[in-house]
Amino acid sequence: MKIDSGDTAWVLASAALVMLMTPALGFFYGGLVRRKNVLSTIMHSFFILCLISVQWVLWGYSLAFGPDKFHLIGGLEWIGLNNVGFTPNADYAPTIPHQAYMVFQMMFAVITPALISGAFAERQRFKAFVIFSLLWATFVYDPIAHWVWGAGGWLHNLGALDFAGGTVVHISSGVSALVAALVLGRRLGFGKEKVEPHDATMTVLGACLLWFGWFGFNAGSAVAAGSLATSAFVVTNTATAMAALTWMTVSWYHKRQPSVLGAAAGAVAGLVAITPASGFVNVMGAIVIGFGAGVFCYMAIQLRERIHVDDALDVWAVHGIGGTWGALATGLFATVAINSTAANGLFYGNPKQVLFQLAAIGASWAWAAGGTFVILKIVNIFVPLRVQEDEELLGLDISQHGEPAYAL
Amino acid sequence: MDATTVLAVICSAIVFAGWVVLPHSATPIVKASVLSEERTPVSVSA
Repeated sequence: MKIDSGDTAWVLASAALVMLMTPALGFFYGGLVRRKNVLSTIMHSFFILCLISVQWVLWGYSLAFGPDKFHLIGGLEWIGLNNVGFTPNADYAPTIPHQAYMVFQMMFAVITPALISGAFAERQRFKAFVIFSLLWATFVYDPIAHWVWGAGGWLHNLGALDFAGGTVVHISSGVSALVAALVLGRRLGFGKEKVEPHDATMTVLGACLLWFGWFGFNAGSAVAAGSLATSAFVVTNTATAMAALTWMTVSWYHKRQPSVLGAAAGAVAGLVAITPASGFVNVMGAIVIGFGAGVFCYMAIQLRERIHVDDALDVWAVHGIGGTWGALATGLFATVAINSTAANGLFYGNPKQVLFQLAAIGASWAWAAGGTFVILKIVNIFVPLRVQEDEELLGLDISQHGEPAYAL
Repeated sequence: MDATTVLAVICSAIVFAGWVVLPHSATPIVKASVLSEERTPVSVSA
């Protein structure tokens, strides 16, 4: 196998783009919380960038992508990047060094637990967050990544399509967020006092940086610099824009004004929904996927509010529902005209693909929900998940980190 | 025109038409005098 310099450059640049998404997420979330919790919210993302970067090279990559064991998990043969060198791996990316693929995948493993942090913002104890994140990455993310993307993984073998992480990243984090919100309980004063975002400009800037980084997330998942990456880039931009437009329209209809934060949230919902489909659908499919993301994710937030679940930053609505819609839509709109190595969807004469997608959706929901619940309960035995009431009232920036965000 | 394209056209039409027909309610404007009162500096000199 010969290393292609163009492909290698693109994948390494994409890894850097995806890396940027995690601090961008910190700013997206940071603007949405109260000013007494902004630093702790940004810290969740920054800390996970460091934590999972080390976990991934020690054992995470081996569990997710190592030699298959029972179609469920990777083996430990690649622990500490043993056998993961510069020779390309034909199963994953035949034209780039194996370590380039490894570091690209690392950035996906980093951002996924960071996404969950939006659900328990403003009330989780930092120590509990650290332990939970490490266990979650190992026992929830790594197995699902192996099922879907690992050579020999059972969903991979079944024929389920997930180009860049609709099930692996977004369903897993979104569903886990819902479970975490239910287990931790509501913030003090939830539903009684209005919790306003402290800096909407920070959130919009975070959304824009996420959009920028997502080109690496989706187009980089082609693991080659060519026509498939170009198509993924184009449909990513199209679906994102369409979802933002749709969310604005729906919120305008519902609340009588076009919301700026709604536009930002809509863009993220579109990015989420196109993720699994980005290497399989054409631009018309991307428009429908973006439209669906704007409608379904907005409706999910209304439902979440109605049942009084305090998923503080709507991770379930945007990532859980957006990821589910995207994974299902892949089974509807996939076409071999875009990716000849994949399969057609329902609209192109292959109804069976919808069943494969539903299997992947169901398995990801079940494993993420069950795994997260068990991990949270175990962590809670050793470290209380929530801060004390007075600490929550004071704010997590001071109570957990001893630093204010703003010295104004 | 395939079914995906038809759906995409319908979705786009709904969104674009929505902006034309949706009513816009401006947020009630707070009187300028109230704002200026809040900004009046407080004298602390003896």
